[in-house]
Amino acid sequence: MAASVTRQIIRKRRRFFRHKKVCRFCADSSLKIDYKDPSILQNFLTERAKIVPRRITGNCAKHQRELTRAIKRARQMALLPYTTLHTI
Amino acid sequence: MYMRKYEVFFIVDPDLNDEETTSIEKKFREIVEREGGRVLTYKSWGKKRLAYPVKKRTRGHYFLMEMAGDSELPLEVERNMRIDDRVLKFITVKLEDRYDPTKDQTPEPQEPAEEERVNQTSEEAETVENASQDTIESGLEVKEEE
Ligand SMILES: [Zn+2]
Repeated sequence: MAASVTRQIIRKRRRFFRHKKVCRFCADSSLKIDYKDPSILQNFLTERAKIVPRRITGNCAKHQRELTRAIKRARQMALLPYTTLHTI
Repeated sequence: MYMRKYEVFFIVDPDLNDEETTSIEKKFREIVEREGGRVLTYKSWGKKRLAYPVKKRTRGHYFLMEMAGDSELPLEVERNMRIDDRVLKFITVKLEDRYDPTKDQTPEPQEPAEEERVNQTSEEAETVENASQDTIESGLEVKEEE
């Protein structure tokens, strides 16, 4: 029992090996977060227009905070949708 | 004497003729000056498709106005935008607390942390139609910082 669990973990690790994620905004200082520029913000939304959590994107806390604020402002200004589930 | 520097990003009815669009600029320049502020830039960001309909319109004409003044200025500008049917949406963000009007060039980009304190609470994002309401709140927040 214990052995099989260990084997599973090992297999899992090998199969889902991930690279260390790097915050894209820390890595590239030319990448500016601006609520008026939805093209960059769009990369951090799911198909349903939800904000992708930073455990997935690898953003650092500071930039994720800035990013969510910008996305919310962009939504307010109709540059980004709130949802794609139903058209308002 | 330091002023506060703000940007107002707003959407104007895209179906207005050029004359009327220009009259909006004239109106808001006058309001800012009347309130003792100054308009630093006023630029069209072009007509864009809206991510969702606003006041039954699917497109909007975006404008960005940068202005300097005291903490009352954004309240007065927003109040006037709210009652103007030609303005579909607007948002005000404080860019600087200590803007020196005698130096024509603005000191280099503020820390984003500076901007953080400006306005917007998380509730704001949840309101779809009510941009104006949110910005009122943000205006109050600015005021409370005094
Ligand atoms: Zn970062």
